[in-house]
Amino acid sequence: MAVSGFVLVIMSVLRSSRFFLGRLFPGLLFLAALSWSTFAHGADVREIRVGVLAYRGADRATDSWTGTFTHLNRALPQWHFTMAAGDLAFLDTEAAAGRLDFIITNPGHYVELETAYGASRIATVESIGGPPPAAAVAATVFIRADQAGIKDIADLRGRTLAAVSPETFGFRQAWREMSEQGVDPFADSSKLRFVGFPADNVVEAVRRGDADAGIVRACLIESMAAEGRVQTGEFRVLAAQSLPTPGCQISTRLYPDWPFAKLAGTSDALAKQVAQALLSMPAGADGQSWTVPVDYHSVHDLYRILKLGPYQALARRGLSDLLWQYRHWLALFGLGFLWWVIHVLRVQVLVRRRTEELRAANETARQHREELDHAGRLSLVGEMASGLAHEINQPLAAIANYAKGCLRRLESRGEPEQIVHGLQQIAAQAERGGDIVRRMRDFVRKRPVDIKLVRMEQVIEEAIMLFTPVARRKQVELRLTPCPHLPAVQADPVQMEEVVLNLLQNAVDAVESSDRRQIELSAAAGPAGLTLSVCDSGPGISPASIDHLFEPFFTTKPQGLGLGLSLCRSIVESHGGRLWTENRAEGGAVFHVFLPAAKEPFR
Amino acid sequence: MTDVSPLVLVVDDDPALRDSIAFLVTSVGYDCRCFASAEEFLGDWRDDRPACLVADVRMPGMSGLELQKRLAESKSGLGVIFVTGHGDVPMAVRAMRGGAIDFLQKPFNDQLLLDRVREALAHSAATRATAAERALVETRLARLTARERDVLRQVVAGKANKQIAADLDISIKTVEVHRHNVMDKMEAASVAELARSVGDRL
Repeated sequence: MAVSGFVLVIMSVLRSSRFFLGRLFPGLLFLAALSWSTFAHGADVREIRVGVLAYRGADRATDSWTGTFTHLNRALPQWHFTMAAGDLAFLDTEAAAGRLDFIITNPGHYVELETAYGASRIATVESIGGPPPAAAVAATVFIRADQAGIKDIADLRGRTLAAVSPETFGFRQAWREMSEQGVDPFADSSKLRFVGFPADNVVEAVRRGDADAGIVRACLIESMAAEGRVQTGEFRVLAAQSLPTPGCQISTRLYPDWPFAKLAGTSDALAKQVAQALLSMPAGADGQSWTVPVDYHSVHDLYRILKLGPYQALARRGLSDLLWQYRHWLALFGLGFLWWVIHVLRVQVLVRRRTEELRAANETARQHREELDHAGRLSLVGEMASGLAHEINQPLAAIANYAKGCLRRLESRGEPEQIVHGLQQIAAQAERGGDIVRRMRDFVRKRPVDIKLVRMEQVIEEAIMLFTPVARRKQVELRLTPCPHLPAVQADPVQMEEVVLNLLQNAVDAVESSDRRQIELSAAAGPAGLTLSVCDSGPGISPASIDHLFEPFFTTKPQGLGLGLSLCRSIVESHGGRLWTENRAEGGAVFHVFLPAAKEPFR
Repeated sequence: MTDVSPLVLVVDDDPALRDSIAFLVTSVGYDCRCFASAEEFLGDWRDDRPACLVADVRMPGMSGLELQKRLAESKSGLGVIFVTGHGDVPMAVRAMRGGAIDFLQKPFNDQLLLDRVREALAHSAATRATAAERALVETRLARLTARERDVLRQVVAGKANKQIAADLDISIKTVEVHRHNVMDKMEAASVAELARSVGDRL
């Protein structure tokens, strides 16, 4: 059999689609070849069915293999060999049904049948005067001779390719070569055209320029040239090597010729006899004979590289195999991942819950702080109460005096201007009393902390207004050193007043039993803020108390709650400041409050 | 003694209260002077007319009680009425022991204050009158010679001229001359009057 005879591999000879040839093949062609031998041997002769791949129709197949069947029937008369010719799909169906004993097909299909139906070759066809059977099949990739841009197979990237169908062995051979050059025809071609049988269509497509390159079986161009349908030098073969016999240019490596193979259900004894018969068959007129089966390893290589046929699983099941192989690790990883996800979720839930708890705790703490703050102010006002009562009593007494004075003047028809003066004073004194009540109420009232830009001068003035009567009642001289140009602070004014009043009250308590009763309030601006100082002429702070001075409920006073200084410190620190104390060299103690200056000054 | 109309002195550190007390006492026709502190009062005040002092007990610097003590030390007859915003018993006791006329708690009844003021002024006037009379007698006594004092002592003791002459070892005539001079210098109309004015001052 000539090389050209079986380079065309898979086909529907008649019309047919480009891809699913088998479906459209018009049924099986069952040819009872050589019927005469049936009659010669009678009904007891067993029929041996041999499938034949018909790539040019059943008639051509019959013609091609007649010599072989004649020889077999003659050499082994105890059997009757019949030919079942058809396309790939037909042969696969028959093999699957177990209706075939032997099969003659192309090397690619044979390799697929090895795996699928246990086919095993017993002989390889050989052409007398042709190429050796182990290297007889190849394909040609060609371009138009005037196509300058393509020098090699690697240049096919991005080009339009034409071929008969993706399942032809020729296309697959070319595919392998392209693949080894780094070109994937399905991914890298700008277009892949499958033009169907006959292969002449491919030549036409390239000639017309519908495709940049074509893929055909080896020697097709040469035979078309011989028939005069192709001009010499019209086409150029890529990666051309010469196939010495019968003198064709090919682009791929060479693969073995067609095999004669037994199928799984066929007995070895039968196979042996058939093999012996084939090997002893003389070459016919067409030069066709059979030799020992050659190595089909190269075809396996091609299928493996392209992950086709028996190696399809490599492409399809690759990932799942891998997954299965590493399932323990994957399970472990999956568990780890699951643990991690659960951990993350749990952490999130915990964080959210803790945040909520923290917020609630903060809110509670804030409320407690405000309660304590309020209690501290109430307690402070309690300590200041008699002084404050006196301060309210003063205007009341003055009002009473003015009122009685006016009455007497009215009774004695005194001067009206005098009476007017008295009435004005009554009004003024009523306001004075009201002011004191307002100040006290503002100071004692429960209210949320309100941080704003505050002038400490104002806070000090307000505190002094409230505190003057307290100091007077205790006959303490209260001195205020003028403190100009104090920076503004970010603070709650009432809390600041509370701090100042507490320190003043503390100082008054300290000097109460001293001969010299003097307290002094001063303030000074510094680079980072302001420092407020309250000095007293008392006995100073004893070493035993100095460490506990700012602890809550620590007090040295019989009626004190011990809240004042601890509250002061927490207030000052919550404003980013500092409260500290020291004994003065000249006697007495001094309390300092540092408050940081506000970032934005007063406008 | 140029101005004998009585004067009310007010010492209080609270200007409104000070002014209101003044306003009240002037409504009944008293003169009134106000001082912001005990120190200011002591520096300014001249004891030249009947007066009374209305003072706050607690004041910065010198307190009312201290002021009362100072006045007592200077033997001024100035009557003191204390007014206070915060009366406590020990303080009131101290004030009253120190000779205060009254200890009033603010706000006080106007009539009560005015009554006390009137009493104090009357007391002041009376004290001042007694003191003036004494001073007059002293002046007159100072004009007597030593012999005339001896005679005066005998006369006030109710002795007759003859007995005086014998005691002093002088003539009756001389006693009579001295006696006349004494009556003259002491501006006394009778021995009884002389005896009352001199009293136990010899």
